[in-house]
Amino acid sequence: MNGRSRMFAGRLVFLAVMALLAVSLAAASTPAPTPTLDEIVAGHVKARGGLKRLHALQTLRQTGTATAGADRRALVVREIKRPGRIRFEFTVQGVTAVAICDGEHGWRVNPLEGEMAPQALPDDVVLEAIEQADIEGPLVDWKTKGSRLELVGREALGGRDAYRLKLTLKSGAEQDLYLDAKTFLTICMDSTRTIKGWPVRIRTAFGDYRKTKGIAFPHQIETTASERPARLRIVVETVEVNPPLPDSLFELSAAARP
Amino acid sequence: MRKIPFLLLFMPSVLLADEVYLKGAGTISGRIVEQTETTITVDVGGGTVGVPMARVERIEKKRSPLDDYDERAAKLGLQDADGWRKLGRWASQQGLSAQARGAYETVLTIAPNDEEARIALGFVLLDGRWVTEEESYQARGYVKYEGEWMTRNEAQALEANYQASRNAERSAIDAEVAALQAQQQAEEAAEQAEDDQWTQYNDPLLWGGYGYGVTYWPSTPSRPNRPNAPNRPATLPARAPAGGRR
Repeated sequence: MNGRSRMFAGRLVFLAVMALLAVSLAAASTPAPTPTLDEIVAGHVKARGGLKRLHALQTLRQTGTATAGADRRALVVREIKRPGRIRFEFTVQGVTAVAICDGEHGWRVNPLEGEMAPQALPDDVVLEAIEQADIEGPLVDWKTKGSRLELVGREALGGRDAYRLKLTLKSGAEQDLYLDAKTFLTICMDSTRTIKGWPVRIRTAFGDYRKTKGIAFPHQIETTASERPARLRIVVETVEVNPPLPDSLFELSAAARP
Repeated sequence: MRKIPFLLLFMPSVLLADEVYLKGAGTISGRIVEQTETTITVDVGGGTVGVPMARVERIEKKRSPLDDYDERAAKLGLQDADGWRKLGRWASQQGLSAQARGAYETVLTIAPNDEEARIALGFVLLDGRWVTEEESYQARGYVKYEGEWMTRNEAQALEANYQASRNAERSAIDAEVAALQAQQQAEEAAEQAEDDQWTQYNDPLLWGGYGYGVTYWPSTPSRPNRPNAPNRPATLPARAPAGGRR
């Protein structure tokens, strides 16, 4: 090979390297394509533990503490049983209040406020309880549950990249769900609740996901209301998958009626 | 009413706690300090709770976190900051807020700047100084409205919303009151007119004499006894109290 040929070959190599570099740089600077809504939901279900495990989830018990500032600490137990039954216990200073929803009706006994006899829960609270009784989470089988779901976009949230989904439940209640773009787990939920007749935007952040029997559950849940400094923090200490929960836990016996 | 004396109240370390199960759901864990045929009173370690016996399903004696707290606290020296801190942490984990507060307050008497105790008692470090949670909210520009801390804008919006709904309610009440007053006035006017008529008829000066003729001739010489007008309430509806809130 003469000098000109070597120069030509050298230029070819140089151009090839530059082209390769340009392609790789372009690839690096091009954002990854946003997956479709179905792909995001599929990623979420897989991250939670898979459809088979989630469908096999029949009962659930979560135990932990709720803190809303000094002197406002409670022991909390949440028990859920298909279909749509939920029981919530809240213990402060040895006094345990209980709220129960059997999927249609709800009542509570709240000795913390001097209510020793069961009181019917207001309709809006029953609706919220039914939403929370969705044992596998609202994104699993959302179509068959009669919900509507749309992908709003990809947003940065607390330094993380997240997919924002708008979920409209069958009841009409709306939730903005933020799913971590890497893990597909829910990291945040925005919803609106009416408090004292005034709509208040509520943000619930989920973190510290850990698996129990192959299903991922958040162990830190923090709720804040817009324009308010106070925050409610729930730390879940234990999660029991499919514990025995008798139906009677979610029923109000005739003897207990006031 | 028959009272059951509680001699063992004076020996709390020996006494096991009572778990009072309510009918339906709910429990109260503490020490029964008084029991009558109709009511029991339970000391929950941060106050007492009265429960009607009719709502009690059963009572069980069992060791409670309150028993453990008392036992552990009895073993601690008053200068043992670390021990009280650990006990405060433990009590907090058991949901015994009053005991946790007591333990942490003891820590502060020994170590006034103990971070864990300060935070547990709700203090916030602001510009190098421990302040209460409320003071920190104030310093950050929040205001208290209806017992809740929030931004000034939110409080103003809530107040405007409240005033608007209150004005609407007041307008509705005012309209109702005005309608009732109008009805009342109309009835009074009619009554007055009738009275005037009667007066006119009975006052010779206003009678008009024969020259004017008689336009109305009473069928009876005395004023008729009229019943109350139908649909008139005995009293007008009271206005909404000025300081009322939902």
